[in-house]
Amino acid sequence: MAKIFIIIPAYNEEKVIGKVIADIKKEGYRNIIVVDDGSADKTEEVAKKKGATVLRHILNRGKGAAAKTGLQYAKSQNADIVVTLDGDGQHNPKDIKKMIKKINDGYEVVLGSRFLNKKNKMPLFNRLANFFANVLVFLVYDFWTTDSQSGFRAYSKKALDLIDTSSDRYEFDSEVIREIARHKLKVTEVPIDVFYTPYSLSKKQKQNFINGIKTFLKILNS
Amino acid sequence: MLFGISIIRWILIALALFFIIDRFLRFIKKETGQTFYKLFSTLFIWGAVLIISIFPDFAYFISAKLGMGKNLNTLIFFGFVVVFMILFKILSAIEKIEKEITKIVREMGMKLKI
Repeated sequence: MAKIFIIIPAYNEEKVIGKVIADIKKEGYRNIIVVDDGSADKTEEVAKKKGATVLRHILNRGKGAAAKTGLQYAKSQNADIVVTLDGDGQHNPKDIKKMIKKINDGYEVVLGSRFLNKKNKMPLFNRLANFFANVLVFLVYDFWTTDSQSGFRAYSKKALDLIDTSSDRYEFDSEVIREIARHKLKVTEVPIDVFYTPYSLSKKQKQNFINGIKTFLKILNS
Repeated sequence: MLFGISIIRWILIALALFFIIDRFLRFIKKETGQTFYKLFSTLFIWGAVLIISIFPDFAYFISAKLGMGKNLNTLIFFGFVVVFMILFKILSAIEKIEKEITKIVREMGMKLKI
């Protein structure tokens, strides 16, 4: 039986993290790791109460740093498959199953793509920003993906051993693409649901503009 | 104009004197973090400001000595290059420190598993 770990980087997500964990549990996964990235709210307590293992960053280091902490922890626990997803409730835990199936089919990395699912209604600005990021990632890393900024991904044991990132912030997602290309990992994309609630959108808006520029510069500089 | 020196030059002279004296006193009192390197940097940078404020022709003299003739712009250009090099060094140092902090935070997070 494969050891599956679900990693959720979370920063100030006390309102939704409980539901995210409960929904993942409903799908039958038990090794749920929440990396609380220095939240100022009760993310840690809520996650713990819901039965997740919590790794707490005493300082906020960014989504990339939190994801890497989770991946390293899973690796130290001899995980066979690791799935990462966002803590703001925008991803559907029901999609985990099809990602794991792809890993079991022999793929080393599975990228969840919000754009392959035609039912998703994404705000135009997000659509354009993501497309621009995809083109940039393609130009710099010579690797095309329909969703280079998706945080919903699955990794095999081999991918976990090979992928080495150093970005702490949002450039992490692009850096993983660089590692996939560098190690020529067998990769595929699966369509995933995305729920844009007023809550997740309010968080996204804050990230998009400034972090978008920072991500752009970091990709160019990598 | 006072003694044939413009107000802006007086301000620069006062500032330069303030920073040089302040750094000297701190160094003599052996305040924490006051290294010889800091004293030397202060003397070099604010000393140059002080000399050029009192003797503006000094910049032309340096320019001529460096073989740039009377072309002060070249000297200013090199000044900018030096400033950018320092800035780059500082940014690299900050990035390195950021990475170290993340490493420490990560190690602690893994050890303090809840």
